[in-house]
Amino acid sequence: MRPPAIIIHIPGPLRVFCSGAAQLPLAAQTVRDALRILEQSQPAFYRNVCDETGTLRRHLNVFVNSDNIRDLDGIDTMLSPGDVVTILPAVSGG
Amino acid sequence: MADRIILTIGTKKGVFVAEAAKSRRKYALRGPFGPGVPVYATLVDTRGTPRIYASSCNPFFGMKVLRSTDLGKSFKETKSGPAFPKDDGRALANIWALEMGAAKRELLCGVEPAALFRSRDGGDSWEMVTGISNHDHARQWQPGGGGLCMHTIVRDGRRLHLGISTGGHYLSEDGGETFHAANKGVGAGFAPDLYPEFGQCVHKIARHGDAPGRLYMQNHGGWANWTGPGGPRPDIGVLRSDDSGHTWRSIAKGLPSDFGFPILVHPHNADTVYVVPLDPETRSCPGSAPAVWRSENGGNSWSRLSRGLPKTDSYFTILRDGMDVDHLKTPALYFGTTTGQLWIGREGGEQWDCLFDSLPPINNVKVAVV
Repeated sequence: MRPPAIIIHIPGPLRVFCSGAAQLPLAAQTVRDALRILEQSQPAFYRNVCDETGTLRRHLNVFVNSDNIRDLDGIDTMLSPGDVVTILPAVSGG
Repeated sequence: MADRIILTIGTKKGVFVAEAAKSRRKYALRGPFGPGVPVYATLVDTRGTPRIYASSCNPFFGMKVLRSTDLGKSFKETKSGPAFPKDDGRALANIWALEMGAAKRELLCGVEPAALFRSRDGGDSWEMVTGISNHDHARQWQPGGGGLCMHTIVRDGRRLHLGISTGGHYLSEDGGETFHAANKGVGAGFAPDLYPEFGQCVHKIARHGDAPGRLYMQNHGGWANWTGPGGPRPDIGVLRSDDSGHTWRSIAKGLPSDFGFPILVHPHNADTVYVVPLDPETRSCPGSAPAVWRSENGGNSWSRLSRGLPKTDSYFTILRDGMDVDHLKTPALYFGTTTGQLWIGREGGEQWDCLFDSLPPINNVKVAVV
């Protein structure tokens, strides 16, 4: 089965690592698959998102649409056609 | 171009560069570069056209190396930063040290978790130095208060001295191929065995090119009132070696505390050494009165340098890389504080003035004459 077409939304500080793109379209079954594709297609961007062990950096949050993957199935969260995956620094007030 | 003094100031919120003429009357400040991101290591590489390097330790997006080719007017990220091999299992948590290597454009980089990396192209690509990074002891080192960091890299011809907290002092005598722990006489006040083979919390190591084999070390002291097994452990914090680091002896007698972070050698006199004794609990100067202490006889006796510094109510810390000395005929010392002041000690530290009083907390100060 063909993996669903989804959109990766790139945070402002990281657009410099993917030629200024604000969004990257790709096809992936899960967030893990999406990260694997980004490792190949956008290695400089990927290094900002995952460390050298492949682990998502600790202070980043990944959302599928409006849900944090922490509350879903982590990086094994399944993706559906048209989903928007947003990567955001875990900044909060105070 | 006339000689210029270039100061690099690594802070909690990016790197600043200050520049002055040789007179050192007025310093112009530039930055922050890599704004908002902590900088723990800087380097002014004076080989050929000067280059400035700074680590940029972003808690969100990982560790980067910044490079300037215009004396700190602008910085760009190098093509890549140090990274452990994918199958290693370790992930870079901080960059603590950047030093010039032996070959042109060669750089050495100490990181957390404690490991050493080498670049042969001015920071664009990096390889792990396996002789120390995969040393038999490496997986037994434990983090100190600042993390498990390789913070000190001192080159001496084919010898390479490394300071690891907490791992101790490691020495290579074959240009960095192999390393061995060299901690005879270096105490670990926090361990039941005061003199283990390794595991000491070394804070900084310094040497002078005119005194072959001599090294000075600021170790983690502050154990004079220890009441555990073995009793008090005074004077283990400030040490000297005269055999290239194979053995060490205390030179702490006469200091108000043997705890501290930086240690420096005068650029033109290997017998003149500077430390900043701190109270081990507050990590501020004893009596809340900041002072740099100087020995002019290789550590046999010490004198206090504080003219111009606050006389009381100061509780800042000067971190391990927070102090440096320039190489002009009559050198000036510089230190940055955790409360964001940058001080200059003119006439070799005889007279202190505050150059900048409201910078972010300062991790690192380096100076070069270019």
